[in-house]
Amino acid sequence: MNLVRAEVERLSARRFVQLMVVLLVLAFGVTAATTLAGSHKPSAEELSSARSQAAEARQSMENTFQQCLARQNGALPPTDSEQYFPSDCSEIDPTLRDRLPIAADFLPGVFSFAQQARPLLYFLIAFLVLFGFLVGASYIGADLNSGGVVNLLLWRPRRMTVLGAKLGTLLGAVLGLAVVASVVYLATFWVIGQTAGLGGPLGGDFWRSLGAVHGRGLVLVLLASALGFAIATLGRHTSAALGAVAAYAVVWELGARLVLEIVDARRPDQLMLSSYIGAWLSGEARFYDSRLCTGTETGMYCEGFYSLTWAPSLVVLLVLTGALTAAAFAVFRRRDLI
Amino acid sequence: MSAVIEIEGLRKTFHSLRNGRRVAVDGFDLLVEAGQIHGFLGPNGSGKTTTLRALLGLVRADSGRMSVLGEPSPQLLPRVAGRIGAIVESPQFFGNFTGYRTLRLLARAGGVPIARVDEVLDTVGLRDRGDERVKGYSLGMKQRLAVASALLKDPQLLILDEPANGLDPAGIREMRDLMRSLAAAGVTVLVSSHILGEIQLICDHVTIISRGRRVATGRVDEVLAGYDRHEFLVRVAEPERAVELLHEAELTASVDGEALVVGGVTDPTVISRVLGEQGLWVGELTPLRPDLESVFLELTGAGGHPSVPRQVDDSGPLPGAGDAEIDLDVRGVDA
Ligand SMILES: Nc1ncnc2c1ncn2[C@@H]1O[C@H](COP(=O)(O)OP(=O)(O)OP(=O)(O)O)[C@@H](O)[C@H]1O
Ligand SMILES: [Mg+2]
Repeated sequence: MNLVRAEVERLSARRFVQLMVVLLVLAFGVTAATTLAGSHKPSAEELSSARSQAAEARQSMENTFQQCLARQNGALPPTDSEQYFPSDCSEIDPTLRDRLPIAADFLPGVFSFAQQARPLLYFLIAFLVLFGFLVGASYIGADLNSGGVVNLLLWRPRRMTVLGAKLGTLLGAVLGLAVVASVVYLATFWVIGQTAGLGGPLGGDFWRSLGAVHGRGLVLVLLASALGFAIATLGRHTSAALGAVAAYAVVWELGARLVLEIVDARRPDQLMLSSYIGAWLSGEARFYDSRLCTGTETGMYCEGFYSLTWAPSLVVLLVLTGALTAAAFAVFRRRDLI
Repeated sequence: MSAVIEIEGLRKTFHSLRNGRRVAVDGFDLLVEAGQIHGFLGPNGSGKTTTLRALLGLVRADSGRMSVLGEPSPQLLPRVAGRIGAIVESPQFFGNFTGYRTLRLLARAGGVPIARVDEVLDTVGLRDRGDERVKGYSLGMKQRLAVASALLKDPQLLILDEPANGLDPAGIREMRDLMRSLAAAGVTVLVSSHILGEIQLICDHVTIISRGRRVATGRVDEVLAGYDRHEFLVRVAEPERAVELLHEAELTASVDGEALVVGGVTDPTVISRVLGEQGLWVGELTPLRPDLESVFLELTGAGGHPSVPRQVDDSGPLPGAGDAEIDLDVRGVDA
């Protein structure tokens, strides 16, 4: 317990951590201020006009779809050549759309919390993932290099306990900061939406789905922190973690992807970590597989997508982080500390 | 007298891709008993720091048996770590913390009352600078902070690797006084240093290491006595004639500048009698006692020709002297 308290103090006194927190607050302040400045509460006229515009747009989509169907069934002569119709009308079936035009789409200069909460949260999570990774790596990396770990081990010659306390402190601190930051962040934008924008329909479904993204985002932040910590421990240096990620991104995500595409490998996205991160965060990610549709009759509709869901994605991310962390502890246990 | 540090046959090889194998410690033995101020001497790169690191569980020994305060190390080191204060090779501290905060963090991690921090800062003379950042400290101030961190635990055993590094003359004397007062209070001290005069002044026992092996160990006066060639410095009016007379009396004698170095005799009155009988009156007769420096240089083969730069790995047991280690450790004879 004393060890953890000392580590909390050490962590919070790090310049880098302080800098990242300042950056976070700054980014938050700027986004909130510009949103506030660029938004106003819509008047009743604006609202009703937007509603009717949205209704019109939905109606026109429906009309086009009906025309397409009619032409497909031969009920409509193909004279009206100005209008383009796809060969398969289900492509423009409004009921199959992810989302339909709503009033908020026709309210320029009005911030809608219901619409913007998710992308805002994604931005915050991305920042916190970066924060966790960099702080995790630099915290142990700097300590290994500055002799801090050696000093500590002269006091507590239990390597596993010392490293475990450091990792535990890191994860606890990052989680605490992430929770506080995201709650304050969402609350601020909610208030902006309520007072200077559009609250939007915030039903139970909305909060449930936002909460799910939030929870999964926090898990991702923790995984990134542990990963940065583990790689920096393995490489004895902060830069080891940065280098490993940069090398992975360039060599694998870019280089290998290119090669896999050239050799026409099947489902290259399945081999990319980024796919799993995306799938975990949004619950499901869809990727194109050209061979899914080979063999289907021409003219028949074939989607050609396969999807990765969150569960296997979580397993992949957990196994990767867990293996690297276990390796870091195993190596640290036996290593010569100079 | 109980053993506080026991090392037997310690061996440590460093492997690196670039430099291959490097044997740092090669079957080294060390025995430090309670209440000693034990000097640990050796040329650069002879394995002192590596030995201390292995003892404190920072590097993994290839083989050998070690124990500290009665517990095998590194297996049961955690049991006694609270009673060992150590600095190993000028410890680094986090530059952004103040001296006070650095010590407070260590005290907290080790479960030492925070009030100790002020006491030790005072002891090492940093009381008024404790609230400044460590990166603004001078070399000697950092060294003092390191010593303070070692004292924080109120240790029974103090291991100091070159504590005088960077200290000014007053600081060196304070360090000496500090070690003496700690020893008087019953603390066992193992101190490595290159300042041999200092070691000779404060240590009662000494172990000399060269190329990873022990080449001498025992009480300081006995190690020195082992190298006493029973020579005397003699000043007379006619040195050349005196040499002849002494040779006739079957003593060894040679001219060294203005004076003579006479050997082959234990009783100095023989010299004054031989010369006096021939009317040569002795103006000065001084026994030539070896000091730690000359013994050290001889043992470690480090006293080469002054015009040839000596390389760090040139030191070592003199040819053929490998097994001729002098071991004058006499247990239970401590004052
Ligand atoms: N991490 C390391 N990797 C490779 N070789 C090492 C390492 N640490 C020490 N050595 C080698 O081990 C030998 C002993 O080094 P050590 O630091 O123990 O010497 P020392 O007696 O403390 O010297 P000094 O008086 O200069 O402090 C040296 O030859 C050194 O090069
Ligand atoms: Mg050394």
